[in-house]
Amino acid sequence: MTNTLTNIVEEVMPHFEGYAYPNEATLQPLWSVLIVLYPYITGLVAGAFIMASLVRVFNVKALEPVYRLSMLTAFAFLLCAPLPLLFHLGHPERCFEVMMTPHLTSPMAIFGFVYAWYLMAVLLLELWFDYRRDFVAWSESTPGFQGLLYRLFTVGVMDESDASVQLDHKIGHILSVVGIPSAFLLHGYVGFIFGSVKANPWWGNVLMPIIFIMSAMVSGIALCVFNYMVLTWIRRKTVDMKCLDVMGMYLFYALVVDAAIEALDWIHRIYSAEEGFQVMQYMAREKLFYTLSLGQVACGTLIPLFLLGLLQLIRRRVPEIQRRRMYFSSAMLILIGVLAMRWNVVIGGQLFSKSLRGVMGYKMEFTGLEGWLMGGVLLCLPFVILTVFVKLFLSERLPTGGHVPPRDAGAQTLRPARS
Amino acid sequence: MRRVFQMPPQLFRIFLLVVGVVVAYSIARYFLTPPSFGEYGWYRGAALAELATRDRVYAGKKACEECHPDEFQKLTKHEHKSLACESCHGPGEGHADDPRKDNIDRSSFAACLRCHEANPSRPKWHKQIVSKDHYTGKCTECHVPHSPSETP
Amino acid sequence: MKNKVSRRNLLGRIGAAVAGLLAAPAAKAAKTITQKVLVSANAPKDYDPSKHRWVMAVDANRCIGCGFCAEACKKENHVPEGPYFRTWVERYIITKPKPGSGAARGETLVDCPDGGIHGYPEAPMPKEEIQHSFFVPKLCNLCKHSPCVQVCPVGATFDAPDGAVLIDPKYCIGCGFCIQACPYGCRFLSPVTKTAEKCTLCYHRITRGLKPACVEVCPTQARIFGDLKNSKPDDPIQQFYQNNLVTSLKPHLGTEPRLFYAGIDKEVR
Repeated sequence: MTNTLTNIVEEVMPHFEGYAYPNEATLQPLWSVLIVLYPYITGLVAGAFIMASLVRVFNVKALEPVYRLSMLTAFAFLLCAPLPLLFHLGHPERCFEVMMTPHLTSPMAIFGFVYAWYLMAVLLLELWFDYRRDFVAWSESTPGFQGLLYRLFTVGVMDESDASVQLDHKIGHILSVVGIPSAFLLHGYVGFIFGSVKANPWWGNVLMPIIFIMSAMVSGIALCVFNYMVLTWIRRKTVDMKCLDVMGMYLFYALVVDAAIEALDWIHRIYSAEEGFQVMQYMAREKLFYTLSLGQVACGTLIPLFLLGLLQLIRRRVPEIQRRRMYFSSAMLILIGVLAMRWNVVIGGQLFSKSLRGVMGYKMEFTGLEGWLMGGVLLCLPFVILTVFVKLFLSERLPTGGHVPPRDAGAQTLRPARS
Repeated sequence: MRRVFQMPPQLFRIFLLVVGVVVAYSIARYFLTPPSFGEYGWYRGAALAELATRDRVYAGKKACEECHPDEFQKLTKHEHKSLACESCHGPGEGHADDPRKDNIDRSSFAACLRCHEANPSRPKWHKQIVSKDHYTGKCTECHVPHSPSETP
Repeated sequence: MKNKVSRRNLLGRIGAAVAGLLAAPAAKAAKTITQKVLVSANAPKDYDPSKHRWVMAVDANRCIGCGFCAEACKKENHVPEGPYFRTWVERYIITKPKPGSGAARGETLVDCPDGGIHGYPEAPMPKEEIQHSFFVPKLCNLCKHSPCVQVCPVGATFDAPDGAVLIDPKYCIGCGFCIQACPYGCRFLSPVTKTAEKCTLCYHRITRGLKPACVEVCPTQARIFGDLKNSKPDDPIQQFYQNNLVTSLKPHLGTEPRLFYAGIDKEVR
C-alpha cells in the first residue's frame, strides 16, 4: 500500500484539541512559512513602489532623496518574490503551466501575468527610463566589466540630449501612473486569494484584500525608512531630516488607515459572532497569542502609532537624534508587526479545523524547506541583492546628471556626487 | 539619419523588446500546452483515460461467483446477503487473476466482531453482542459465516 | 549608405517575422501528428463519459461504523499511510443533558480514530449517558459548484462530464489551493506523489461497470452508488431519493453538493 521506496509519511499527529478532519491532522500546515513570506515580500515591493511614486506622480519633492533607493528596493524584493512559491510547490518543474494554461476562475492563475507585467512593464521600464541617461554617461566613464554592463543597459541608445531626457521623464511619469494600480493588483490578488476561500472563515471575507494592501503600504514605507537610515549610516552621512519627517508622516497616516481597517474586521467578527467565531477566538487566544496580541497588535501597531503620532504633534520640540531613533524603531517594529500579521493570517487560518470543532498547534522546524533557516535565507536574500544594486546604481563614486526634475541644492542626500 | 517608424530610439528599442517577449510567449504556449487540453473542459482530456485505466485491487462480488458458486449461492440466500465477499475476505483482484490459497484472506473472528461487537453508536436494528458475555471462544463454533443462523 | 542599411535591416526583420509566422502552424501540425502516435490506446472501450452521471448517497441510518469502506479505499487507491484519507467515517456522540440544567442536550463529541479504517473502539462513556450516537461516512461531496475546481490555477482538477470530480496527477503542480478551498476537508496533498488527491469515485472501477470499493464492501448499504442517466425506479439510488428526506453539508456556502445524506443530525459539519 505505501510506496516502500519513500517512507516519508508524517505519521505523528500534531498536538490538537477537539476534532479535526482526518486530512487536517498533518504535522505541518499545508501553507507554511514560505507562503507567509510571499505576501510579505510582495507587500514590501508594492509599498516601496507606492512611496517612490509619491515623488513622480504627486510631486512630493521632499522624498526625492529616497526615490531611487525605493525603486531599487522594490526591484530587489520583486526578484526574490517567486522563490518561496517555487520552493513550496509539490512540482516546481511544472510551474510554467500557470502561464501556459491559466485557469481564469482562479486568482492564483494571474500570478504569472501580473508578476511579469509588474516586473517588466512597470519596474524595469521605469527604472530604465530614469537611469537611461546615467547609463550612457557611466558606460563612457566607467572602466572594465562594470562599464560594459552599463553599455548593455543602455540597449544601444546613446542619446543624451535634453529632448530625449525630457521624453524619458514623461514616459517615466506615465509608467508611474500605470504602476500604482499595478502595485495594488500585484499585492491585492494575494489578499483576494485568501479572501475568496469561503471554506475558511478566518480568511474568507471581503476586507482581506484591502487589509493586505494597506499593511503592504505600511510595510513598504517602513522598509524605505529602514533602508534609507541604514544606508546613510553605512556611508557615514547625515540623514535628510525633511525627507525622513515626510516619510514618517506618510507612514503614520498609512498605519492609521491600516489599523482602522484591521480593527473594523475584528469588531465586526466579534459583534456578529458567526458560526466559527468560538473556535477562532479560542485559536487566536491560545495559539496566536505571541504573534497576534504581542507581535502584530502591541509591537507592530500600537507602539508605532504612539511614537509616530507623537512626532506628528510635537515634532519641532523633539531633537533630531531622538526623532531619528523614534523613526527607526517604529520602522523596525512595523516591519516585524506586518510579518507577524502575515503569519497570523496564513498560519492562523490553518490552526483550526474546518469542522469548527478543533484547534491544532504548530512547531516550526529549523531545517527543511519550510523551516526557520529557509525563512531566514529568503528574508536576507533581497538585502544581498539590494546591496549589489546599490553598488551598481547608487554608488557615490558615480557621477550623475541627476534625475528629472532637477533638485534644489541643499541637504546631504543619497544622491551620487554631481559630475 | 532617418529614423525607422519615426519613433525616438529608446521607445523603438523597448517596443522591439516587447514584441520579442510576446512572440516568445506565444511560441512557448504552442509547444508547452498538452495536446488534449481543452477537449472536454479546462483540463487535459487524456487524463480521463489515464485515470480510468488504473489497476484494481478489489475484484467485486460477481468475480467471486465464477469459481465459488456454492458459497456465493449460500451467501445470497441468507442474512449476510448484503455483504460483499471482499468485505470479510479482503481485496480479491490478485486472487482472481492467480487463484491460490495464500493471496486471499481466509478471514478471522476479528472480522465478525468488527461489525457485531455491541456499540451504542450502532443502529438498534443491527444484531450486536457483547462478546465477553456472549461467548469467548470462536464464533464459527456456533455460526456458519455464509449463513449465520445455521449451526455447523 | 545609411538609408540602404536601414532598409535592408527592415526587410530582413520583416522576412524573419513572416518566416516565424509560417513556422508556427507547421510546427503545430507536426506536433499533432507525433502526439497522435504517442497517445495511449488504453482508454476503456465503449465508455462515453457523456452517457453517464455518477452519483453517491449516504444513508447514515444504516452505517454501523465497521470502517470496511475506509480500509478498502486506502487499499484500492494506494493511499499513503498516515493522515491521508479519500474517505473516512466519523462518530458523533451526543450526551444527555445534566439533570436540572434546563438544556435540551449535553455535549457533542466527535472522533475519527485513524479515519475509522480499523473500526471503532468502545464509546468513551457508558451508554446510559448517551442520548444519540451515530456514524457519518464522509467523502467528496460532488459539488455542483465545486470551489476546488474553481480555484485550481492550472486546470489540473476538474468536473468530469460524467459527474466525478477528478485530479490529473500529471498536471497538478501541488500548490494546495484546492485543498484549502474544499469546505469538507476531503482533499489532501499526497507525500508520495506531491500532488493533490481525493476521492475519484473509484473512476477506474466505475468506468468498467464495477462499483466504487467503499460501496462494494459496505455490509449494510449505507453507501449508495448509481448512475442518474441510466437507472430505473427500482435502482438503489432512485429508491434512496424516493424514500428519504435528505440534507447536504454546509449548504450556506453555496457549493450545492450532489452527495445527499439521510439520517444525520444538526451537529454534523
